[in-house]
Amino acid sequence: MIEVRQLTKQYGDFAAVNDVTFVAKPGQVTGFLGPNGAGKTTTMRMLTGYMPPTSGTAIVAGFDVFDKSLEVRRRVGYLPENVPLYRDMTTRSYLQYVGEIRGIRNVRVRAMEVLDRVGLATRANSRIRTLSKGMRQRVGLAQALLHNPEVLILDEPTIGLDPYQVLELRSLVRELGRDHTLLFSTHILGEAEQVCDQVIIINQGTIRAQGSPAALRAEMSRGGRILMRVEGDSQAAATVVRGLSGVGDATVDVLMDGGIVITPSNADIDPRAEIANTVITRGIKLIELRPLAVNLEEIFLELTRQETAQEITEDAATIIDGEEIAS
Amino acid sequence: MTDQSVHIETHEALSREVQTGASFPFWAVFKRELGLYFRSPIAYAIAFAIMFFLGVLINGYLSQGNQQAPADSTYAPLLLVFLLFLIAPLLTMRLLSEEAREGTLEVLMTLPMHESQFIIGKFLAAWAYFTVLLALTLVYHLIMLTVGVPDLGQAFGAYVGAWLYGGAVIAVCMIWTAVTEDQIVAAFLSAATVLVLYLAEIAAIFISSQNPRLAEFVRELGLQAHYNGTLSVGIVRGQDILYFILLIVGALFITTRIVETRRWRA
Repeated sequence: MIEVRQLTKQYGDFAAVNDVTFVAKPGQVTGFLGPNGAGKTTTMRMLTGYMPPTSGTAIVAGFDVFDKSLEVRRRVGYLPENVPLYRDMTTRSYLQYVGEIRGIRNVRVRAMEVLDRVGLATRANSRIRTLSKGMRQRVGLAQALLHNPEVLILDEPTIGLDPYQVLELRSLVRELGRDHTLLFSTHILGEAEQVCDQVIIINQGTIRAQGSPAALRAEMSRGGRILMRVEGDSQAAATVVRGLSGVGDATVDVLMDGGIVITPSNADIDPRAEIANTVITRGIKLIELRPLAVNLEEIFLELTRQETAQEITEDAATIIDGEEIAS
Repeated sequence: MTDQSVHIETHEALSREVQTGASFPFWAVFKRELGLYFRSPIAYAIAFAIMFFLGVLINGYLSQGNQQAPADSTYAPLLLVFLLFLIAPLLTMRLLSEEAREGTLEVLMTLPMHESQFIIGKFLAAWAYFTVLLALTLVYHLIMLTVGVPDLGQAFGAYVGAWLYGGAVIAVCMIWTAVTEDQIVAAFLSAATVLVLYLAEIAAIFISSQNPRLAEFVRELGLQAHYNGTLSVGIVRGQDILYFILLIVGALFITTRIVETRRWRA
């Protein structure tokens, strides 16, 4: 269990983490989603007792991270970003070293168990410097799992892995999430959607949204946008739609690939029938007319946007479209 | 199917309650660091250079002495103590700088141990290596025994003194390796600090005519006042032992505090 209340980390005037409040429950995977520099790592560092918060409290595995730092560290497994390891040690001796510091009995046996679990048993006697990036990531994970901690905190565990390793790691995260409190960070949206029971979207140090991927999607798809495709001149078709009375002052944008995005100003109106009717009457060949699927990616971009709304809408729609075609 | 069952077994093994007992983190750190010294070429290079240098000098001393000078076993520890401004920075420069630069310090600092534990572990490893180096020079005592009758009390004082002296200098060098992530900078600043402490006695001579009290104070601060002419000739004074112990404890305390402030800066 991780309970964070109004956690803040201030560097001079700059708030790296600002008033962050959330709960990560046992048996769940909680995903920390945000662009680089959003404050994910800083928050995790505070939760692992590496650095103290400026204000606010965090209770990890039942202990306050500030007052009972050692108790927290006993119960947390932490995989830092970039997976710092001792390159000259062998995989096994590294785990034994960490295990000895943690005071684990039968540390040799335990090290082999964990190595076996992350699929590195055959590389137990290899020097860490000879391992691939993916293997090193797994050594880092083995280090975090060594003492079978209540709470696992993994900072960008899939970064730098090949697609196959990413899938493997995601399924491992899901599995570990069943009997641990698991908090992991990522800036890959699809990953959060696939793996997490709860997603926390963070940007510029503050939480922008949190909830299950499904709940976030439902929340955001109200008053959803419509994507239309026509054969021929998209601009002309857009002009026709703009002139419609029933659309209710919708914003109509034409994408680079010719798709037309219609955003109704009133969420309760579904203007699809009217649009289809008018467009066909005008002799424009309608190919496609459907609600624009809202996925985590779009929610994320919506919540974390820094550029003008227009630009982002176009980009987002293009990305979404591209992904759907690809899949 | 077999794969499946194996998988489930390992998973159960993984989530089994892990037994933990009393832990002495500094001991684990000490073992690792000492092992690193004996597996790295630099430790052997230092030992070779020192022994070669001492060998040449002592050979010259023996041949010049030509059975007229007394057999003196303090020659080797005295030289080693002088060379500490080179040896100690080489031994300590990577101890904390490297951990900070590689990011492994973050892992250490999120393990359940106080900073002082790994700092003491690392310090003891460096001191242990120095102890081995010092023990190697005992060979010259054996050589002296074959050519004459060296004063045993004097030799004992010189060796115990050099051992404490080495510990104090290594502890002082630890401070700089905690301050900077750059090993070269750490080594350079360490060497400069050790030289200043070594030369304090000479500085004291310069200012003694203007301000004898200040001169005495500066002299007492320096390393030489507590070794040269006291321990090195077999005079074991409590104040000298206390000076070295205080230097070790003080320097390690400062190092710990510097590493602690990393939490606030990081």
